[in-house]
Amino acid sequence: MYQAEILDALAGLALFSDLDRPQLEAVAHTMSEEAFPAGQRILRQGFSGSGFFIILDGEVSVRVDGADVARLAKGDFFGEISLLLGEPPVADVVTLAPVKALQLAGPDLRAFLLTYPAVMYRMLQSVSRRLERANRRG
Amino acid sequence: MSLDRQDKISWLAGVPLFASCDEETIERIADATGELVFTDGQAIVQQGQVGNGLYIVVSGSVRIVAGGGELARLGAGDFFGELAVIDQQPRNATAYAEGSTDCLALASWDLIALLERDSGLAMNLLRELARRLRRADAQLRH
Repeated sequence: MYQAEILDALAGLALFSDLDRPQLEAVAHTMSEEAFPAGQRILRQGFSGSGFFIILDGEVSVRVDGADVARLAKGDFFGEISLLLGEPPVADVVTLAPVKALQLAGPDLRAFLLTYPAVMYRMLQSVSRRLERANRRG
Repeated sequence: MSLDRQDKISWLAGVPLFASCDEETIERIADATGELVFTDGQAIVQQGQVGNGLYIVVSGSVRIVAGGGELARLGAGDFFGELAVIDQQPRNATAYAEGSTDCLALASWDLIALLERDSGLAMNLLRELARRLRRADAQLRH
């Protein structure tokens, strides 16, 4: 993807909706663009040392002990819970189609969120919503 | 129990959620919070209501209940009520006092202003919610 396309993609994501153009450019610069073929495991259940990923295109399956528990697509992100807690992922994340994603190396997430408090607030909202859903199912 | 300003400041400084806050922020939180005392069995917040703030348990204990099931039991230093503030959705659970229970309450707008001002506090809250999410997901699977 060209830089301009990445910027447009970032500008359309809820996570970054409070950032202005120069901030989006800085974000695009901080994260690396990755392409994964269909059927690839991006995160491994029980294995540490991964990153934070934002999907730009394609779809992934979140699998716990082999069972599909969620599907994520454009604009969704994953890997942040493990990184915030310093624990290994509790699920596999496997691509269902070719996936384009932005990746932030694990050790950089904390500094990234502290640099962009508006992104942290959006992430806080996302985790709150997921927690509410989990509580409702419980 | 009745806390004066100094009591509130020294007590809040020991709450894990505020561990990263500097003295000035703790003083701000102390000035923004009000002390509320609840009797045994009293509902502190109710499922379906609009969220008006965050509660921190000072003494006593709190039972969090949703749809008849118990989600958590909280004690001194624990907090609840943050989801409805952050998400601006109705309360997803009811919180009952167990025994005489003393809380400090922080209004929604004060919490949001604090989170905007202190990104270390926002990070602490995010980590605690991540912990609760992982626990809730694990319970669903077992």
